Amino acid sequence: MKEITEAIRQELTDLIFNYYAEECEVDRDSITMDTNPQEDLESDSLMFVELIELTSEKYDLDVKLQSIGKYLLKTPMNSMKDVVDMFCKIYQYGNEIVNQ
Amino acid sequence: MYQKAFLFNGIGSKPEKLLVKLSPALTEKYQYYMDAEFSRLGLQTALEKNLPYDRKVAEWLISLICDRVVFEYYLSQGIVPDIGAGYSSGIVSISACFGAVPHEFAHEIIMMNRSTMRALEQHHQNLDMGVVIGLDYQSVQEIFKGRFTPEEVIVGSANSIICTMITGQAEAVEKALALCMEEGAMKAIRFQTGVAYHHPCMKQYSQEYNDFCGSIAYQNPEYPIISVFDNRIMTEGAEIMRENQLNVYTPIRWDLTLKKLTDLGVTEFFDVSANGAVDKFSRINRRKGRIYTLAEL
Repeated sequence: MKEITEAIRQELTDLIFNYYAEECEVDRDSITMDTNPQEDLESDSLMFVELIELTSEKYDLDVKLQSIGKYLLKTPMNSMKDVVDMFCKIYQYGNEIVNQ
Repeated sequence: MYQKAFLFNGIGSKPEKLLVKLSPALTEKYQYYMDAEFSRLGLQTALEKNLPYDRKVAEWLISLICDRVVFEYYLSQGIVPDIGAGYSSGIVSISACFGAVPHEFAHEIIMMNRSTMRALEQHHQNLDMGVVIGLDYQSVQEIFKGRFTPEEVIVGSANSIICTMITGQAEAVEKALALCMEEGAMKAIRFQTGVAYHHPCMKQYSQEYNDFCGSIAYQNPEYPIISVFDNRIMTEGAEIMRENQLNVYTPIRWDLTLKKLTDLGVTEFFDVSANGAVDKFSRINRRKGRIYTLAEL
């Protein structure tokens, strides 16, 4: 398990918020931790996958989409907080996220 | 020899999502083409006023007309393809844009889907398609092994490592999508199309469509087109005709097509869809090339 610092968490949060703002063509400041990425931003699953790819590349993470898919079965992404928490877990646990 | 490839999308994007991406100048051009073609083909531009099958094909025509507008825009910007590929009905679109058939004929091919839908209805066929996000071709094949027969459901297109389209009997498609979710797909979506494009069962219901595709002589395309079925490079009109005929009932390997293009030396891919849809479901080895979309150009 990798350690996640507050700085990394903030960096991930910025990356995620900036990504959704650009992809969904909304003002970055209009996105909060309570924003629902599907309902409020009309994001789709392909966008989500691309974000995973970008993050994996940036942090050199080894994680299979299938592991994340199984994690999502247990933990739906209903808010940006859920998304940030999930990416922090990907950073920490990689493929072991499925067991979290 | 090949450096720039144009990629044409199939049906599926909602008209409003396409049109919002066009600039005012491109929208004006789109409107001109649309008015002329809808009038010629007897379709209502207010989509909801069309009969159900007419409405479906009208939506698909909008995709093709948008492709034409974007294609012409790219050319006007000095971006000229060395080669191209069409995903599903993108084959019809590229056939017209690359000059193998007139645009009017390509639109009439799209109209012929109505006869296929009628044939399916007459034979009480309950078919469907769906897309699995987050699982690749091999993973989906593994999931299907021993659970479904090829008559029930198959992979209709291996799009990329993150996206696989399935096609077949509606009940089997529904079960297969649920199974894919259990096995870790990020998302699995039914299209509820009533048709199973790219499944061999479609052959018997698409005779009129196929006959129509073969009813004129095709010109040699201005630029080569790579087959999404067997990856051969097509330069002859007769090959493009055959590609259009195979389209309805033959599975696609889009992933292999893009790999072949990179192997051939293509480094710049241009997504001809107005909303960058091809870029979203395709994956190119980032060290070897990238996909440009209308929004970026």
